[in-house]
Amino acid sequence: MAIITISRGSYSKGREVAEKVAQRMGYQVVSRDVLLEASEKFHIPEVKLVRAIHDAPSILERFTHGKYCYLAFIRAALSERAVKDDLVYHGLAGHLLLKGVPHVLKVRIIADLEARVAAEMKRENLTQNQACSLLIKDDAERRKWTQSLYGVDPWDASLYDLVIHINQLTVDDAVDFIVQAAGRECFKTTVEAQQKMQDLALACRVKASLAEDDCVDIAVTSEFGNVLVYTKQDARKLHRMEDKLKLLTKKVPEINHLEVRSGQAFPPEAC
Amino acid sequence: MPLIIVSADDFKQGDEISQKVAGTLGYRYLGRDLLHYVATENQVSEEELARALDEAPGLLTRRARRQRLLGLIEAACLNVLLDDNVVCFGLAAHMYVRAVSHALKVRIINEPEQRAEELAKAEGLSVDKARKQVLRQTKEERRWSEEAYNLDQTDASLYDMVISLGTLELDKAVEIISDTVGYRKFQPMTYSRKLMQDKALAANVRRELMGQFPEIRVEANDGTVVVFIQSLKKDQRKKQELVRQIAGGLPGVRHVEVHIIRDLVGQAAQSSR
Repeated sequence: MAIITISRGSYSKGREVAEKVAQRMGYQVVSRDVLLEASEKFHIPEVKLVRAIHDAPSILERFTHGKYCYLAFIRAALSERAVKDDLVYHGLAGHLLLKGVPHVLKVRIIADLEARVAAEMKRENLTQNQACSLLIKDDAERRKWTQSLYGVDPWDASLYDLVIHINQLTVDDAVDFIVQAAGRECFKTTVEAQQKMQDLALACRVKASLAEDDCVDIAVTSEFGNVLVYTKQDARKLHRMEDKLKLLTKKVPEINHLEVRSGQAFPPEAC
Repeated sequence: MPLIIVSADDFKQGDEISQKVAGTLGYRYLGRDLLHYVATENQVSEEELARALDEAPGLLTRRARRQRLLGLIEAACLNVLLDDNVVCFGLAAHMYVRAVSHALKVRIINEPEQRAEELAKAEGLSVDKARKQVLRQTKEERRWSEEAYNLDQTDASLYDMVISLGTLELDKAVEIISDTVGYRKFQPMTYSRKLMQDKALAANVRRELMGQFPEIRVEANDGTVVVFIQSLKKDQRKKQELVRQIAGGLPGVRHVEVHIIRDLVGQAAQSSR
């Protein structure tokens, strides 16, 4: 079984594709409920998490680290869901939030602007100009957000395994392709792949717990429950973080061992 | 049956996939072999034709010459694509076969990191150097298509599907592409066939006129050909007559209209003498 992430712009039929794929494969489909979970678990108003995921961070927020913390919460909630496998996830940059997990089929759904404008006009009762401006602005915001946080362009086709253009191809065609691709060996959940997913979930959980305490600018890796926390914190903050981590080690049974590494470069695979 | 037009960031992979798809479906494969025919028919070199397809014009390469060579390839390719059941790769068809509903357009790509690793291995480079080379290659690809066709060929929205060979295997890509053949929307219709015929006619007319009018633009509709050329006011009539004479004699052309675009640069040069 697989994890499927579907990235899309507004009104690109991505949600419809995701729901039909999930129905066909008997998978759970997840999107905004991840935000709700993160919101309840970390006591952050949902609206702030929505803004974190949709708007590019402002200069001020880069200093207060608000959005970075919120992303940590979202990522923790998503990876906890993904550990249970058999998941179709749409929106919310799943292909980036679950980076490094081998059995994730990453799909992008695109549609022509004209078709998207028509859909938005109908749904939101807008004029053509209004719908077009809103869509262009929304696309630009999403692009800016991804570029500023991950340094990648979400429109770059090389981030995905499949990009499907809904125009000549219908939603049902897209569903066929995705279901067909997901059935391949490379997307099956092997023991190793499941372990990687569990490691990611644990690393995200540790990072989110530290973010709750305003411990930012850290990276976390986990391998079979051996957790490494990389930090650039000064000695005073480091001390406080270590106290927090001691508590966490007692609270989370999945952590076999936890170490803090200060002053080292963050590994590229770190959460 | 649909036409299948493949574009790829790795020529060898694109060629292999296209040939396998053609083999699976029993279709004709149209690839770089066409260049031999184009070279012979038009007294140009095959190497120059291949370079026109692979390289953006440099300082020493005239743009007009490159556009002419691409125009020759386009005309020959479109004439073959009038038949159905063809898989086409390596002739830039993804750039000029647009809005034709029975043409399935697919792009095959690789993950940049994977490309860099393979390049490093093949050429004995460091991975860092290979990464920079891959980035340069992608920029060149983009530059080529923007200069030749005013389009970015790396833009996913130009295609019906983009398949990455990062995780999906080559044979899976072949399977996915082959399976689309049965989709109703890709079956040739009267209007889509007509559109292909119009494109082929326009390309043939352009091919005949490009030698004398490098910046020419041609549109065709049901045998009526509209030709846009640049001209100074004083040469207008003579050029219009010449275009009508050449284009009017070509098979499939029933009527020729010639529209003049003012040659402002030439006019300015003339008035400063």
